[in-house]
Amino acid sequence: MSEGGKVVVLTCAGMDKALGSVARASVFKVVEELRPDKAKLVCLPPLLAGVASHSKMIRSLPVITVDGCAERCATKLAVKNRGRIRGRVLVPDSAKKHDLAPQSASNIGLNGEKLAEIIAQEIASIVDRVIQGR
Amino acid sequence: MSIVKNKVGIVSCSGEEIPEGTISRIATRIVLEKLRPEETVTICLPLFLAGGEGERAFARVFPTITVDGCEKRCAEIGTKKYSGRPAATIVVTDILKKYPNLKLGHRDELSAEEWEFTENVAEELAMKVGEVLGNGKELGGNGETCQKAER
Repeated sequence: MSEGGKVVVLTCAGMDKALGSVARASVFKVVEELRPDKAKLVCLPPLLAGVASHSKMIRSLPVITVDGCAERCATKLAVKNRGRIRGRVLVPDSAKKHDLAPQSASNIGLNGEKLAEIIAQEIASIVDRVIQGR
Repeated sequence: MSIVKNKVGIVSCSGEEIPEGTISRIATRIVLEKLRPEETVTICLPLFLAGGEGERAFARVFPTITVDGCEKRCAEIGTKKYSGRPAATIVVTDILKKYPNLKLGHRDELSAEEWEFTENVAEELAMKVGEVLGNGKELGGNGETCQKAER
């Protein structure tokens, strides 16, 4: 079982890619609506800017990474900081699987919202599984 | 012979944890899409920090402006570390001090007042782009002003 019953979610920031914006939107749904007491959102950039509290958090709690493109920045930064990755979601795979393409990086549109909801449910299931130690 | 037009790379905080990060991100997109579309590109901060060579090479050759949501200044620190000193910097929490009555709420959705503030941040950023490129008097690369930008 996860220490303290919390799981860290690290997401792609998706500044220049529509699927990155979907990643971000899906994680917000998890931490604000679906699993607010179990999932903790941690910013990616502080992990390489040397903010000790952030590195410590991802070493002490299980981590789920959500990547918006094949560069997999969230996963790479978790590995670099010796994070304990317990689940991974790659948004392009989900987009392909569900045949849903977001509109743009600044406005993901209806299909992007649908995709974010599906991915949010998937992340929430991983959170539950990690917390239950399965 | 090819001519490379002057561009500024905007390196924005992704700010998942705080509303100021969302404001950084939206202000950057307003500049990229409405105010200075011909003169700016964005550099994905996580990719830049995770080792994106294209992003780092761009930031070594072209001037950059960093937009940070908070005092951690991840964008500024990362840019200095991997590519060199940014030509200009913006920290949203510094600008916020000029608006003592504005209290930020959610990190995933902006209120009307927060939108207005975000547009002010975007205008400030657009002015800095102009200063960096030496055409600071002209706000709005395509003739638009921030107030006319669609939400």
